[in-house]
Amino acid sequence: MARVLSGDAEAYGVLIERYRLRFGRYATAMCGDADQAADAMQEAFIRAYDGLAGCRKPERFGSWFFRILTNQCHNHRSRHRSHQRLEGVTATSSESPEKDLTSAEIRRAIDRALDDLTPDLRETFVLREIEGRSYPEIAELLDTAEPALRKRVERARQSVRSALEEWL
Amino acid sequence: MTSDRYDDLLAQYRDGLAVPGSEVDRAVMAVVRDRQRLRSAAFWRWFVRPHVMEVRPLLAAASLAIVVGASVLGTTIAVRWSGAPAAAVPAGMVLVRFQLDAPDAGSVALAGSFNGWSDSTTLFARNPDTGTWSVTVMLPPGEHEYLFVIDGERWIPDPDAHALVDDGFGNQNSMIVVGPRGVVRS
Repeated sequence: MARVLSGDAEAYGVLIERYRLRFGRYATAMCGDADQAADAMQEAFIRAYDGLAGCRKPERFGSWFFRILTNQCHNHRSRHRSHQRLEGVTATSSESPEKDLTSAEIRRAIDRALDDLTPDLRETFVLREIEGRSYPEIAELLDTAEPALRKRVERARQSVRSALEEWL
Repeated sequence: MTSDRYDDLLAQYRDGLAVPGSEVDRAVMAVVRDRQRLRSAAFWRWFVRPHVMEVRPLLAAASLAIVVGASVLGTTIAVRWSGAPAAAVPAGMVLVRFQLDAPDAGSVALAGSFNGWSDSTTLFARNPDTGTWSVTVMLPPGEHEYLFVIDGERWIPDPDAHALVDDGFGNQNSMIVVGPRGVVRS
């Protein structure tokens, strides 16, 4: 980070790779689509580079970048969804929906469930339930107290469970 | 409703999530290198352009050293003694300063009726000590609607706006009233 700030643009490549790997899966879940996630990450990295001088604590670049990335993901998700509302996914077999559920169907079903969450609940749910990150880590990334995060996760979990009820 | 089944579905979903590939790194670095080239070129264009420097008599010696040093390096500095008219604000225009306390923002821009609602032409500068962002613009007297654009995507009204007005689309714009001698508080 110090090297980038001192004008070594190539050093930014190290940061990009590190945080793409760290937050890539999160971006895909948040955008609901791998291509959208790649676009969101690309835009977030460029915005972060342009605004590096405004990063108040360089040692916390990760949290700062995470905020920018999350905003980009919300934008991409809403833009994508407004153009291409996913088709409904319903259980087709009354005998045993579990057996008939393909991975694509699971993805669509959970994506739809995530669509129904508010941005705050979605990002907290993805970090905790999909990525399995610890509450202290999420608290640092979202700059939110742990008790509030636990409530968000609980509310999001209820909503997702309800959306997936026919598969459970 | 079983917890195991729920966990299993989430695990399958997680396993199917792809991490964007290294094409992201390459695309971003191409832009970064381009930005770097532009910045270097902009600095040299600024450096070789003639400049006007205001000099106070007491600091004349130091100022002279700057002028000589700059000349050796190839730029030109014209000296104007303090007391001469400062860079004039065009007749009929008023300087207006906008400020926003947003320590976590990566960038802040001013978009309004006076700049075609552009989110990229009027950028705030950040005070590193306070985290406060500010920009000063020249505006003609009249009513101007505007918003702040944070990180290029969040459009918010000015928390210190004199007034808020409906934008006709269900949201609100900030409004400032500029008189011939400065900002008029409503």
